[in-house]
Amino acid sequence: MRILHRRAAAALLCLAATSTFVSCGSSDEGSGGTTLDYWLWDDKQLPAYQECADAFHKANPDITVKITQTAWAQYWQNLTTQLTSGDAPDVWTNQSSYYPQFATSNQLLDLQPLIERDKVDLSAYQDGLADVWAKDGKRYGLPKDWDTMALVYNTTMLEKQGLKKAELDKLTWNPSDGGTLERAIARSTLDTKGRNGLDPDFDRKHIKVYGFLPEWADGSQGQNGWGDLAAANGFRYLDKNPWGTHYKYDDPKLAETIAWFKHLIDKGYAPRFDKQSTVANSELLSAGKGAIMVTGSWTISTFTDPKVKEKLAFAPLPVGPAGRKSAINGLADSVWAGTKHQEQSWKWVKYLGSADCQNRVAAHAVVFPALKSATRKALAAHEAKGHDVGVFTDVTAAKETFPLPVTEHGTEINPLVQDAVQSVVLGQATPQKALKDANDKVNALFK
Amino acid sequence: MTSTRTRTGTGTGTRTRTRPTPGRILAWALMTVALVATLFPFYWMVRTALTPAADLYSDSTGPLPQHPTMINFWRVLGLTSQEEARAAGGSGAQVDFLRYLLNSVVYSGLIAFLQTLFCAMAGYAFARLRFPGRDAVFGVLIAALMVPPIFTVLPNFVLVKNLGWLNTFAGMVAPSVLMTPFAVFFLRQFFLSIPREVEEAAVLDGVGAWGVFWRVVMPMSRGPLLTIGLTTAVWAWKDYLWPLLTGREEETRVLTVALGIFQQQSPNTQPDWTGLMAGSTLSVLPVLVILILLGRRLVESLNFTGIK
Amino acid sequence: MGASTAIASPRQRGGSRTGKGASPGRPRRARDDRRAAWLFLAPALAGFALFYAYPTARGVYYSLTDYSLLNDPHFTGTENYRQLIGDDQFWNALKVTGYYVVLNIGSQMILALGLATLMHRLTRSVALRAMLLVPWLVPNVTVGLLWMWMLDANLGLVNHLLGAFGVGPTGFLTSPTWAMPTVAGINAWAYTGYTALLLYAGMLQIPRHLYESASLDGAGEWRMFTRITLPLLRPVLALVLVVSLIGSFQIFDTIAVTTKGGPVGATRVIYFYIYEQAFTYFHMGYASAVAVILALLLGVLTAVQMRLLRASRSDLA
Repeated sequence: MRILHRRAAAALLCLAATSTFVSCGSSDEGSGGTTLDYWLWDDKQLPAYQECADAFHKANPDITVKITQTAWAQYWQNLTTQLTSGDAPDVWTNQSSYYPQFATSNQLLDLQPLIERDKVDLSAYQDGLADVWAKDGKRYGLPKDWDTMALVYNTTMLEKQGLKKAELDKLTWNPSDGGTLERAIARSTLDTKGRNGLDPDFDRKHIKVYGFLPEWADGSQGQNGWGDLAAANGFRYLDKNPWGTHYKYDDPKLAETIAWFKHLIDKGYAPRFDKQSTVANSELLSAGKGAIMVTGSWTISTFTDPKVKEKLAFAPLPVGPAGRKSAINGLADSVWAGTKHQEQSWKWVKYLGSADCQNRVAAHAVVFPALKSATRKALAAHEAKGHDVGVFTDVTAAKETFPLPVTEHGTEINPLVQDAVQSVVLGQATPQKALKDANDKVNALFK
Repeated sequence: MTSTRTRTGTGTGTRTRTRPTPGRILAWALMTVALVATLFPFYWMVRTALTPAADLYSDSTGPLPQHPTMINFWRVLGLTSQEEARAAGGSGAQVDFLRYLLNSVVYSGLIAFLQTLFCAMAGYAFARLRFPGRDAVFGVLIAALMVPPIFTVLPNFVLVKNLGWLNTFAGMVAPSVLMTPFAVFFLRQFFLSIPREVEEAAVLDGVGAWGVFWRVVMPMSRGPLLTIGLTTAVWAWKDYLWPLLTGREEETRVLTVALGIFQQQSPNTQPDWTGLMAGSTLSVLPVLVILILLGRRLVESLNFTGIK
Repeated sequence: MGASTAIASPRQRGGSRTGKGASPGRPRRARDDRRAAWLFLAPALAGFALFYAYPTARGVYYSLTDYSLLNDPHFTGTENYRQLIGDDQFWNALKVTGYYVVLNIGSQMILALGLATLMHRLTRSVALRAMLLVPWLVPNVTVGLLWMWMLDANLGLVNHLLGAFGVGPTGFLTSPTWAMPTVAGINAWAYTGYTALLLYAGMLQIPRHLYESASLDGAGEWRMFTRITLPLLRPVLALVLVVSLIGSFQIFDTIAVTTKGGPVGATRVIYFYIYEQAFTYFHMGYASAVAVILALLLGVLTAVQMRLLRASRSDLA
């Protein structure tokens, strides 16, 4: 029945097509050579990887890599749509919370046999990065880079308020009074009359500079803010990581943390969520409309760009009741199981994870490559440019990092938790209730 | 509904005597407000498109850009290098709006032309030809009106995918070219209203059904056919979800999809507004051309359709 | 009026009696065009079978399976529907869709009626009508982007102008309170001109002498509007309303480019929810079940539309 319909439709439409010069049937493969589709989301990294692609093409003239960049906000939506069309990119940049969904629906090629065949040395990568991508003896990605979190602040503004680098390097935080972090934020918030947040006459309704710029479109992990502080408060996302099956978003330690963020907004120290624009926090900070924010090592170049007029610097995350905690996250390149060019794709992935490409990426100083050797080169590249980015590597040396959760259903968990967090900062719900509800829904996915 | 043009004396003639009263002045003032509200956003679109991206913070609200530039147009048309495009606020992704424009024209043109033709054939058969089960078949076909698009989008997507037609024009236009219930209904109504005598004369001359339809009825029906064709073209021009699902690839990417993708390819820090507005402007230009060439036809076509 | 007799000109359409082919189809002599007819109908019937009937059956079938687009469907009975009842995201989607429809149709119909009346009483200018039609001719994607830019909290013109009046920046598309009214307003902007033109076309069919004699009797414009325009426009108004309603329920494009269902689900309308379920979470079966519900809802409206479509012709002729 189905085949009959298919044929009938094909015949009819080709008939129609011939009269209007539309090509019918399958797409044509270009003569000789393979074109690989490769996806990534970070426009800042595009030039670095374009350079890799060009070098790769030079070494393998029969393979061309076509890179497509899609902003983070739509990247996964697009990818899933393409997967359902059976037309996904051959290779794409993968993230730990999103990849399990693709692995369980058999969309990712198991790289383990290829790694063994070609003797790729996984121990050359930063510790722990490769483990995230393995499950039940299969391996779904080859590490490409890693990132940690820190604070970035406007040095001029903070100095004006008498906040020195030494102080900022030793900030503390707790959910009840906010520690020295909250004091720093309060002092750097300015109303339109130039009074700071500690001034008794401070007008929280008319703000010129916000002391803190929180990120609210932060999925289920809060990597760019609440997740790090919640972890510093002793919060743990789930029973075990990776591959846990029971989340703990109802933990009061998380609720306290979110409540503290809400309190920042109420105090006027942070912009209201419902007055956000399409402009990202990093732009606002660079334009002098904010003083402090949490940021990841992949954004370093945004702030060190010579075009930025404000003077910015990095500081470690504050020390919380459970110590200093920074999320560490590693990205990897994965091959689509449905690719027509498996061998070529693997070749490209292997090249992306090789010293040659990673050193090129390191030279661009936009991200820390996964290879230990290349990480050192990236640090050197930053230093050569006169940027002090040590705070991002210090946390790994001091073992103050925690890995982001890797579980099934990541894609579905993201909006559930993000909506809950947003509803709290909007004042629509109490943190306890919103997070409890979200947690129930999240855990129901695992049943 | 009835066209006005065939009547005389009901239009302008009676109004010449009306004197400007306060009420009329107020009415014209309201009309002016409506016009400004309708057209001003388009001005703003062009104004933003002519602004250098670097000026957005300092110069996003003045009536005219301080340093007007065409760079945003050149880069969405793919006429600049990646570096230039990135320097001008883009993400450096390759875009070629000329191609997308052409794809849009092909997409909506194919749908409008073929759908009108096939629906006219069907409408004529239902209006004039005699065959058993005619009314029953017509009723079933019209019942398709009850099926909302979203409902068929999902299975049709699967069908097109299984046919291997994703990212081909064939797959993109397949569900709409063969028929749409409203057009069949509308054209049947029209054919019923044509006097039979003309056709009967042709039949007496020994012309077959196809000949009558093609040489007698079609030329007589230019008006309604154009009406259906134009409105269909407009809807197809605006289509988003279906071409997004079935024709994302460069070769078949239509303007709406291209704009959506371009928005997503913005730098992560902020949307590439100047580029987006340049792309948007390009999507409006063909509309203006149509309006200038066929404005009267289009406006009057709403006198009897528009019900889709 | 009287159009039913004036079928001499091919330009003059409408007005004919529809019936079920009763009068027009009566044979003068026995004739059977069977063969020609099937040829004429072949494309339309193929289109109907392939892209309406078959997918409808498929859609219903998918709704009874766990189909994921990536794996083969397994029959799960009414599981999806049972899940649907307990899914507060689904109910939220229905709720916000309803909210949107009320806001959008409400503002759009009132504005369009006002605009149509103004046109009707002021001018027959084709150029004016063409200008009012421009927003409708522009893709919703463009409209969405344009307004997203104009309404931006930081750089947008609207907030800048509001700021001049001392109103602080409003996150029109980022505040859960404002997002839906804003989207509804954007689409009302895009469709008011079009709707007004449809209503205007209906007004043209109201005999002019009614206004002239009312005017001689000293009736004001408001009186004429309520006593003549509104009652005589009712069939057209009803038809346009139902058609707009059906369209309004299927809001997708504008939301897909502006709010993407946010903030906190405030604009996650049913169409968007279906899209997300099918293409983001791979729940094709579940998405189909939601689509079935939407189809039933719209089916009722469409049935009303079809009645009106037939009725409007006889009423106005």
